[in-house]
Amino acid sequence: MNVSEELVNQVLMIVGTGMIVVGALADLVASIGMLRFPNFFVRLHAATVGTIWGAFVPLLGAAFFAAGYSELGPYRWFVAGGAVVTAFLILLLGPVGSHALARASYKSRAAVPKPLIYDALSEKLKEGEEK
Amino acid sequence: MDPSLFVNVILYAIPIYLTAFTLYAVRAVKGPTIPDSVLAIDSMSYDLAAFMAILSILFKSPILIAVAIVLALWIFALDIYVAKYLESREMGE
Repeated sequence: MNVSEELVNQVLMIVGTGMIVVGALADLVASIGMLRFPNFFVRLHAATVGTIWGAFVPLLGAAFFAAGYSELGPYRWFVAGGAVVTAFLILLLGPVGSHALARASYKSRAAVPKPLIYDALSEKLKEGEEK
Repeated sequence: MDPSLFVNVILYAIPIYLTAFTLYAVRAVKGPTIPDSVLAIDSMSYDLAAFMAILSILFKSPILIAVAIVLALWIFALDIYVAKYLESREMGE
C-alpha cells in the first residue's frame, strides 16, 4: 500500500469516527427528550432529532469508516454501500412515517394536542364535514 | 496512526448508544397512549439500524449490514400500518 492511499484511508476513518461519536451524543439527547417531554406532539421533536442526527449521520459515518478500514478486505465496499443505502432510506422514510403517525393521532384523537393556542385545522375539518 | 485507535474511540461510543436504547425502551413501555409507544419504538429501531452498521465494522462481519436495510423498511411498515389503523380502525384487506 502506497503512502497516498494510506493518507486517504486515515482521513476517511477520522471523518467516520467523528460522525459516529456525534450520532451517539445526539442519540442520547433525543432519548432524554423522549423520556422527559410532556406529551406526544412535543415528543415528535425528539423523534426527529433521534432519526436524522441519531441514525442518518452515524450511518454515513459508518460508510466512511468502512471505506477506509482495510482490515475488512474487499468486503468493505459492501459495508459502505449498504450503509449509504440504509442512510438514504432512513432520510426518506423517517419523516414520512412520523408525519403519517402525527396526522393519524390528531384525526383519531388518540393523543391530546396539549400546548395549543389556536386550532385552525379542526375548523377546516368541520367545514369539510358540513359541505 | 493505527486503525485500532479509531476502533477504540468507537468502543467508547457503544455505552452511549446502549443508554439511549434503554431510555427509548422505558418510554416505549411506559407510553400513556399508542402513538407514544410507536414513536419510541420507531426512533429506537432507526438508531438500532445505525448501531447494526457500527457492529458490522467492530465484529468485521459484513453480512450484518443487510439486516440494517431490512430493519429500516420494516419499521416504516409498522408506522404506516399503525397510522392507518388509528385513522380508519381497520387493517386493510
